[in-house]
Amino acid sequence: MQTHLADFIRNTIEGREADAILRKCVHCGFCTATCPTYQLLGDELDGPRGRIYLMKQVLEGVTPTSTTQLHLDRCLSCRNCETTCPSGVQYGRLLDIGRVIVEQQVERTEVEKLKRKLLRLVIPYRNRFGPLLKIGQFFRPFLPKPLKQATPAARAAGVWPQADKHDRRMLVLNGCVQPAIAPDINSATARVLDQLGIGLTTANDGCCGALSYHLSAHDEALGFVRQNIDAWWPYIEQGVEAIVITASGCGVMVKDYGYLLRHDTDYAKKAATVSDLTKDISEVLYTEDLTKLKTKSNKKVAFQAPCSLQHGLKLSGKVEDILARLGFSLTTVPDTHLCCGSAGTYSILNPVISNQLKKRKLEALCSEQPDIIATANIGCLTHLESEATVPVVHWINLIAAMSHEK
Amino acid sequence: MSADSAQELIDAVKRALDSNTNLCITGGNTKSFYGRDPVGEPLLTTIHHGIVNYEPSELVITARSGTLLADIELTLAEQKQMLAFEPPSFGKQATLGGAVACGLSGPRRPYVGAVRDFVLGVRMINGRGEDLKFGGQVMKNVAGYDVSRLMVGALGTLGVLLDISLKVLPTPMMECTLVFEVGHTQALELQNTWAAKPLPISATCHVGELLHVRLSGSEKGIIAARKQLGGEQVQGADEFWCNLKEHRHDFFKQAETLWRISVPPATPALNVSGPCLVEWNGGLRWLKSDIPAQSIRTTIDMVGGHATMFRGGDSENVFHPLQQTVLTLHKNLKTAFDPAGIFNPGRMYEGV
Amino acid sequence: MSIAPKAENPSLQSQRARVASDLRRVVATDSVLDEEESLRPYECDGLSAYRRLPLVVVLPDTVDQVQQVVRYCHDNDIPIVARGAGTGLSGGALPIEDGVVLSLAKFNKVISVDKDNRTAVVQPGVRNLAISETVSHLGLYYAPDPSSQIACTIGGNVAENAGGLHCLKYGLTVHNVLEIKIVTIEGDLVTIGSNALDSPGYDLLALMTGSEGLLGIIVEVTVKLLTKPDCAKVIMASFDDIEKAGNAVANIITAGIIPGGLEMMDNAAIRVTEDFVHAGYDVEAAAILLCELDGTPEEVDDEIERVKLVLEQSGYTQMQVAKDDNQRQLFWSGRKSAFPAVGRISPDYYCMDGTIPRKTLGSVMSKVDELSRQYDLRVVNVFHAGDGNLHPLILYDGNVEGELERTEELGGAILDLCIEVGGTITGEHGVGMEKIDHMCIQFDTLELSQFHAVKQAFDTKRLLNPDKAVPTLHRCAEFGAMHVHKGQLKFPDIERF
Ligand SMILES: Cc1cc2nc3c(=O)[nH]c(=O)nc-3n(C[C@H](O)[C@H](O)[C@H](O)COP(=O)(O)OP(=O)(O)OC[C@H]3O[C@@H](n4cnc5c(N)ncnc54)[C@H](O)[C@@H]3O)c2cc1C
Ligand code: SF4
Ligand code: SF4
Repeated sequence: MQTHLADFIRNTIEGREADAILRKCVHCGFCTATCPTYQLLGDELDGPRGRIYLMKQVLEGVTPTSTTQLHLDRCLSCRNCETTCPSGVQYGRLLDIGRVIVEQQVERTEVEKLKRKLLRLVIPYRNRFGPLLKIGQFFRPFLPKPLKQATPAARAAGVWPQADKHDRRMLVLNGCVQPAIAPDINSATARVLDQLGIGLTTANDGCCGALSYHLSAHDEALGFVRQNIDAWWPYIEQGVEAIVITASGCGVMVKDYGYLLRHDTDYAKKAATVSDLTKDISEVLYTEDLTKLKTKSNKKVAFQAPCSLQHGLKLSGKVEDILARLGFSLTTVPDTHLCCGSAGTYSILNPVISNQLKKRKLEALCSEQPDIIATANIGCLTHLESEATVPVVHWINLIAAMSHEK
Repeated sequence: MSADSAQELIDAVKRALDSNTNLCITGGNTKSFYGRDPVGEPLLTTIHHGIVNYEPSELVITARSGTLLADIELTLAEQKQMLAFEPPSFGKQATLGGAVACGLSGPRRPYVGAVRDFVLGVRMINGRGEDLKFGGQVMKNVAGYDVSRLMVGALGTLGVLLDISLKVLPTPMMECTLVFEVGHTQALELQNTWAAKPLPISATCHVGELLHVRLSGSEKGIIAARKQLGGEQVQGADEFWCNLKEHRHDFFKQAETLWRISVPPATPALNVSGPCLVEWNGGLRWLKSDIPAQSIRTTIDMVGGHATMFRGGDSENVFHPLQQTVLTLHKNLKTAFDPAGIFNPGRMYEGV
Repeated sequence: MSIAPKAENPSLQSQRARVASDLRRVVATDSVLDEEESLRPYECDGLSAYRRLPLVVVLPDTVDQVQQVVRYCHDNDIPIVARGAGTGLSGGALPIEDGVVLSLAKFNKVISVDKDNRTAVVQPGVRNLAISETVSHLGLYYAPDPSSQIACTIGGNVAENAGGLHCLKYGLTVHNVLEIKIVTIEGDLVTIGSNALDSPGYDLLALMTGSEGLLGIIVEVTVKLLTKPDCAKVIMASFDDIEKAGNAVANIITAGIIPGGLEMMDNAAIRVTEDFVHAGYDVEAAAILLCELDGTPEEVDDEIERVKLVLEQSGYTQMQVAKDDNQRQLFWSGRKSAFPAVGRISPDYYCMDGTIPRKTLGSVMSKVDELSRQYDLRVVNVFHAGDGNLHPLILYDGNVEGELERTEELGGAILDLCIEVGGTITGEHGVGMEKIDHMCIQFDTLELSQFHAVKQAFDTKRLLNPDKAVPTLHRCAEFGAMHVHKGQLKFPDIERF
């Protein structure tokens, strides 16, 4: 597509990147077909091609209004459009760039500003989010329905086997909300890896930075990124094999560290190393000999592929393959490519669309009456769990549980 | 044939226009029974005949409207090709122009398509005496409105067809006809079940207690299908299908009005009395009945079809009445092509 | 330099405000777009080189709303451009400055499926592929499959008479639609066609199909569904010479075989699509043919053998039959994504759509190659070989001054060539705005006048997509003059760069 970027951006790093992305888009409209918000709203402006156009205008020097911002806000960042695009347009990158500029040029209402600030101030910090969640969980039975839905029930952490009995070592990202909401995911991962002869340890890391990044607070996000790199570096030097991520949403972010810090002279190299070492837990298991796990299950599982897993990490089919190898029977889920509406903070900021997508997703997931729904990302897990009629778990917990029963 | 038969026809149209004379466009005069009563001075298209271009590898034939259908079929057969829509001739003198203007298709229609599906282009004279070309000789063409297909079945009310380009198909490597002894209802059900399966069926006909089914394709394909279907094989069935197409089958020797009823194929037995012959997987039903047109049409309206008084009966109301807005569009189109209303006036509907 | 949006005529702005507020009485407030910022993304369809800002965009979601919007426009002499998914490649959905864009994208529901009669009633905004997906569990599918089927709407398909990869055997849209409901410019809801195999009166359905939104707004479509064949196999054959591949196509047809699909890609197309789908195409081949055979397993086996023989005689270099259905789908998905995949190697492309007699394939291909060199622009070829429907994609860079103009000239030369060999300027993408001047070459004044008379029969005030598809005689006169003074801007009235 033809472009004429405005002076303010043309010769910047972002400007050049955005220009290259825009020029790749040939305006064919294929991507609209798989965009969840376009399917719901039927407005070009709520589909990727329209959003690209809106951003193009801004980059070409037209001052945006809250209209452009609204349509960009409605984007789930699910990147389904990227998977669909035959031309290889990196929509996600463009959106990151576009959102920041729009954020600078369009003032939000005080209420909106406050919401976003609160999200950024609470969620990424374990020591802030954890206690708040505990209070919520304590009062959960008394909460009004919407809040109750947003407050997941408490889970037990489960045992964490000792890491140092194995030669093979991996590090796992703690992250921000997951230890508070579902401490059992990482411990289950540790147990499964333990059976495979891999010791799993943690460092004193924190939020991966995705939350701030997607709320257009890039500097804040990069702060988190550097902290994590610093926390992990000693372990990397000691030779951990991989940095395992059990939330695919965080996985996408950590795999981008190298890219995000590519111009940071102090961190570029380290960040690249971190990204190289980063693996989603499905990538780890996919290449391991799973016969050691010897699970047997008659559970009918519906797997929900998080967007971050299939469109972000491009790991479609891996988890399904692992579960099938381990003898789980998987249901056929229609429209697996569509987003469940969780999308980070989206469910909080755009509840109406988010709920519509959740309903559709649950219908699709339950179309063959599964016993349980498995997912790969904490956000999707809590989002779906709030209204699902069957339990929702991280798929690694399925495996861990079976091995446990054995 | 004279040097420029097209020009002769154009001149004739212009003269008629000047003298305000209605024209009755006539080919082999084999289908004058079809439609409302013909009126006007005959304009004989038979002077304009001959195949203009035929290239088997292109699957396209272009012929003048006055060309005998039989000649075209013969020429194609020599190259192992055919007019796949199997137009009925209703007489040796039938011309291509008449077949296209009447828009009637034979037994193979539901499986390969109707006349209109095979028309690629026409050259025609409109009611201003203008010589016009639409469509072409290639498989796909969306330049301009699809006037060529609009001419199909328009009964000559929009213009005089001069040349017509048609897509043709290879004749099947092999055909085979099976017969089953079943009643009307069961025959409908059977046809419907078969239609839902990928079988190489190319015609069906149920009349009396017999259901005939024709299979077309490769030898292996036919053998496999026969295994699935059962039934008895009929020898020399080509004649049967030809007689059916040409209405020479005994069923058509009638005293009553012959109705051509087109319905969604899965429609159950029609709630009208009279002998019925079924073709097209159930989509086409020939009915012999003298019950009032109004009552037949009310019944057919309810199943989403339409009923034509094919032969006999009240020559005023031959075709199923149209929704008022649709009729208006017809009249507007008639004016668009034939502002003076000289071509086959009223042959289709009053004023059309 | 940043481009300031072209200053608009102030009277247009006040009209915009008035029309928007009037239309908001009919549809929800946020279903009427009237800020320039929101209108921009609607300024073009899949042909992004041609852009025009509409007066307003309206997104109704009931038929009644469509009728009211249309009546309002009719009463107030406001032009209407219908829009489906906006994937058109000829500028059919290009807005009109003082006109409304009527989007049917919200009409995206399948209304009903009739299993016994094998039909489906769908709203116009339903995506082509969604129909097949919806009925797949019944063993049925909707046959016409344009490459854009993932995104394009059935309403747009009817309006363009879209073709697809399997149209050689199963026909175009016109062969697979039974009934449509349209809203006329007067706002009447009219049913055209029927659920039976034919319908009384003129074949208005054929006339409406391919009429590019000039005769009515399609608000419902009943499509014919086919039973999925028991078996489908695809052969991929490579050739070291594009002419040989072209001749192989003609040879297959001459042998009396009508494949389900018969498609061709040249080397550049093979490479870009392979990059996206990793189908295992032969990236060294000058051209590959994809030939699908379907039917009962017995028939398919028979035909595969016959086709192999023909291909052998035509001099293929490599041949491969897809080993399973997944691989078959993969072979096709590459072909289907070929146009946009070109975005990987060029920022812009201009897609031509001429259709020619099959026997001229080889010679026309060489001529196109010659033209490509003459104009110094790369041309990628992907096309519906079986139908003789070419899709030369001219690669250009919109940011380079003068390249679009050169591209249009080359496109024009290719169209001239198609007419010359007895073909047509458009096989399936429609005339729209893009090829309107070439209509003056393909048709003479009388024929164009007849088209205008047809338009008049439906739309006396000429409000439906008025300046598309059929040029005014005045325009042709100017075009004739322009042909003399080569190098003038093709559409001085359309915003372009
Ligand atoms: C990558 C790519 C590949 C393609 N491949 C093919 C192909 O293989 N075969 C093919 O035939 N086409 C192809 N096309 C072209 C395009 O997809 C088709 O023309 C399609 O039918 C357009 O549908 P749409 O919904 O996008 O319509 P739009 O582009 O929105 O509109 C097209 C035209 O239809 C009119 N229209 C739309 N909806 C209605 C309605 N409801 N009522 C009345 N008028 C209406 C519009 O006014 C316009 O004139 C391709 C396009 C792309 C981008
Ligand atoms: S699919 Fe890709 S090239 Fe096509 S419009 Fe979307 S982003 Fe652009
Ligand atoms: S990221 Fe998801 S929601 Fe956003 S435009 Fe792409 S497909 Fe649509």
